[in-house]
Amino acid sequence: MEDIKKLSKSSINCVSVDVASLSLGELHGHRSRYLATVSVSVSGDRSRSSSLAINISVIIMSGTGKLPQKRKLPTLPENEKKLYDLIWSKETLGIWTADMKKETGLANNAVTKALKSLQSKGLIKDVVNIHNKAKKIYMAVEFEPSEEISGGTWYSEGSLDLEFITILREQCRRYVERLKVATAENVCQFINDSGIFKIVCDLPQIKEIMSAMVLDKEIEESISSGVGDFFNIQAGRKCYRSLKGRDGPKEGFFSSVPCGVCPRINECSPDGIISPNTCVYYQKWLGLDY
Amino acid sequence: MVGQQGIRYTISLIAAHFGDVVAVCECLIRRGSLCFMDVVRFTELHQGQVKDCLLVLIQHNCVQAFSIPKTGLSIPQHPPPLRIGMGGATMPVTLYMAIFDNIIHRMRFSKFLQIVKEHLGNQCAELLEGFLQHGRLTFELLYDRASGLSGGKAKRDDVLATFNKLVHAHYLERCPKGDPFLEPKDNDDVSSVRKRTRSGEETSTIEQEAIIAAAPLDADRFSGILDLMMDTEADIKHIKNDSSLEVSAGNKRKHEVLEAEEEIQNTINTIDVLWRANYEKFVQCLKKKTCVANVRSRFGLDAAIVLEAMIGSSDRQNARTMNSVSSSMSSIIESVRGKPGGISMTLEHVRTILEQLGCQVCTEETGALYTVGLKDIIENCQNDEVESLVFKKYGKESYRIFRLLIKMGRLVPMDQISDKTFLEKKEAQKILCKLWKDDYLDMEKVNLNVGGRSEVFLWKVNRKVLWELVLNDMFHTALNISQKIAQVAEEFLLSNTDVQKAERLRRARIILESSLLKMDDAIMLFHDF
Repeated sequence: MEDIKKLSKSSINCVSVDVASLSLGELHGHRSRYLATVSVSVSGDRSRSSSLAINISVIIMSGTGKLPQKRKLPTLPENEKKLYDLIWSKETLGIWTADMKKETGLANNAVTKALKSLQSKGLIKDVVNIHNKAKKIYMAVEFEPSEEISGGTWYSEGSLDLEFITILREQCRRYVERLKVATAENVCQFINDSGIFKIVCDLPQIKEIMSAMVLDKEIEESISSGVGDFFNIQAGRKCYRSLKGRDGPKEGFFSSVPCGVCPRINECSPDGIISPNTCVYYQKWLGLDY
Repeated sequence: MVGQQGIRYTISLIAAHFGDVVAVCECLIRRGSLCFMDVVRFTELHQGQVKDCLLVLIQHNCVQAFSIPKTGLSIPQHPPPLRIGMGGATMPVTLYMAIFDNIIHRMRFSKFLQIVKEHLGNQCAELLEGFLQHGRLTFELLYDRASGLSGGKAKRDDVLATFNKLVHAHYLERCPKGDPFLEPKDNDDVSSVRKRTRSGEETSTIEQEAIIAAAPLDADRFSGILDLMMDTEADIKHIKNDSSLEVSAGNKRKHEVLEAEEEIQNTINTIDVLWRANYEKFVQCLKKKTCVANVRSRFGLDAAIVLEAMIGSSDRQNARTMNSVSSSMSSIIESVRGKPGGISMTLEHVRTILEQLGCQVCTEETGALYTVGLKDIIENCQNDEVESLVFKKYGKESYRIFRLLIKMGRLVPMDQISDKTFLEKKEAQKILCKLWKDDYLDMEKVNLNVGGRSEVFLWKVNRKVLWELVLNDMFHTALNISQKIAQVAEEFLLSNTDVQKAERLRRARIILESSLLKMDDAIMLFHDF
C-alpha cells in the first residue's frame, strides 16, 4: 500500500490520495499471479473551479514495480556469500548453475552445497527458463523473473497458460460477433468490465489476442468507414470485424483433391509403383474402393 | 518459368489431342526453339512427317516460326541465341518454338465458350467453336463450316455480322505473321558472346521478341471485315507488302532450304487473312471473374458490383496485363447503375466501397481517378490457396504460423513467431522445421550473443520459390487427374454388364472432370494472372 501512495505522489501533484478499493486475487490458482487493482482518486488544486478526479488502475505483479533492497543477511559462509552476491547481482535475469561455477571459480560440489543451503535459508529460488526448461536458473527471492526468462504475461510457471488464453480468446470473439465490429479498446473495456477474470487485461494484451484471432481468420482487421456496420466507430480507425459464417481457412481448389495434400506426391509418376492408376487415396475419394 | 510437371502436362495434352504430333512438340518444348533440320535429327522422324506435324501445330497456334540472322556455324544443342556463329555472311534461319501457354489454353476451351455464350449468345459461341476446333480459319472457311452445320441455311451476311461481333469484342484476332524476321539489334561486329550478354541484360528472350514481332498492330488485329470483296483485296495487298522482306530473304537462302521446309513456309506465309481465338482476352475475362468472386466473398455483393463496374469502365491502358484498373467516379456510377442490383446504390455507398477495396485516388485534369490493384486481389487469392493447403496438410497451428509469416513478408525471429501465435517455443520450432523441410519456408541462422543464446533462427516465406513449387505440384495433379479420367473411361467401356460398377465409374468421371476444371482455375491463378 505504501508503494502505491508513493507512486501516486511522485507521478501526480495531488493533494490527497483516497484508496477506494484494493483487491488481491489469484488467477486460476497460479501462485505467482497475485495482483492488486487499486482505484485512486486524486483531487486537484482546490483553489481552481473544478476538481480533478482520475481513476487509475494499477497492476502490480508481486515484487515488481520498485527495485528491491538487499536485505540484511545473516552471517554466511564464504562460499555461500560469494554465490549469493553473484545471484543477487543478476537481478531479474537470474543465473545458470554452469555460469555460476565459471564466474566464482568454485568446484562443482561446493556450488551445489551452497545453493542448497541458500535455498533452505529462503534467500534464493529456482525459476524455470522458458527457452530451456532443463537449464536450472537461480534468482534472489526478492526478484521476479524477467520476461526474457518467464516468457511474459502469457506464461505461468514456465508454460503457456493455455486455459487462460483460450477463455480470453473465446470472450473476445463472442464480443466482436455480438457487435459485428469493435475496436481493441472496446474489447478491452468489455473484458475488464465483465468480471470474468480476476486480473485486469491491458490493451497490448488484448491486441495480441486479437492479432492471433486474425491469423486464425476468426475475425478480420479493418479500417472503419464510419457507415453501415461501422457506424459506431469513427471513420479511419482500426477495428476488428466478425467473420462469423465465413471464418477459418477458405477451401482451396488444390487442397480439395487428394494430390494437394498427398505425402507421396514426389514419388508419384504415371508409370511408377505409386501412380494415379494405383492410388488408394483416389479410389477412396472417387468411391471406387469397393 | 515452368517446371518439369508443367512440361509433362503440356506434352500429355498434345498427345491426347493430336496423337503422333507429340514427338515434334515434345522436342521443341524440351530443347527450346529449333530449326527444321534439328527437329528432324532429334525426333528421328521423316522430313515429311516433321513437316506435317509442324503444320498441324502451327495451325493450332501451338508453334510459332521466326527467322533470325545466322552466320556460318550452328551449334545444334544450344538454344537459339547461341546459334549465331562466328564470322561469315549473315543468313536468315527459320526456327520453330512451342508456345507453352497456348498449349495449356487447350484445356480451357469449354470455359472460353461459356464466356462468349454468356456475353454474346449461342450464335457467337458456335462460331468461336469453329476456331477452337480448327485453330486458324479464313472467313471463307468459317462460313463454309457454319453453312455445313446449318444444312446450307446460314446466310453469309448473318455469319459476317456474328463474326464481326466477336472481333469487335476482341474474342477473335487476326493471326500473327507466319515467320517474322528478327533484325539483328546492331550492326557492330561483336562476338556472339557479347550479343548474348546484351540480350541477357534485357529481360525479354528471343522467343518473346519473336512473339512481339509476329503480332499484328492493334488497329489491324481487331479490325473486322467491313465488305468482303473490298477487304480481301486490301488484305492481299497488305500482306504482299508485309511479306516482301521475307520473300527476298527467302531467295538468299533458297539453295539451303529443304523442299519440306519450303512447303511449310509457303503454307504459313499464305496471303489469305487468317483469324483465330484471342486467348489473351479470355484470360482477362477469367481474371476479372476471379477478382469479382474474391471481392464478393470478402466484402459482399455490392462491392462485387462496384469492382465489376470499375473493370468494365476502366481505360484500356492497362488492359493487357490488367494489374490494376482505373476509372473516374462518374464512369463507375454510370456502369454500376447499368447493372442489376446497382440501381439503388448511392454515391456515398459506392465511395465507401471504393475505400473498402483500398482504392487509390489520384487527381488528374479530367477529375479524380480511382485505381484498384487487381494484382493485390489475385495475391490474396493465391495466399488463400496456399494457406488452405498448409491448413489441410499440417494443421491449424502451422496455418497460423504460415499466415503470420506471409503477413510479415520478411525474416522473423523464432521467439517472435511463438509469441505472436501463442505457441510453446518447442512446438513452434517443430512446426517451422517441418515447413522448412518441405520447402515452404526459408531459414537463416544468425550468430548473436543475446541472453546467453548464441544462435537465433530467422524464418520467412519465400513466395517466389514456394509459388513455383505449388504450381509444379498443381500441374502434376492436373496430369494425374487426366490420367485417372482415361483409366476410368476405359474401365467404363469394359463394365457393360455390371450396372452398379458402371454407375460408380460414371460418377467418378464427373468428379474427376469437374476437379480438373477447378485445378485449372488454380493453375491460372498462379501461372496466367
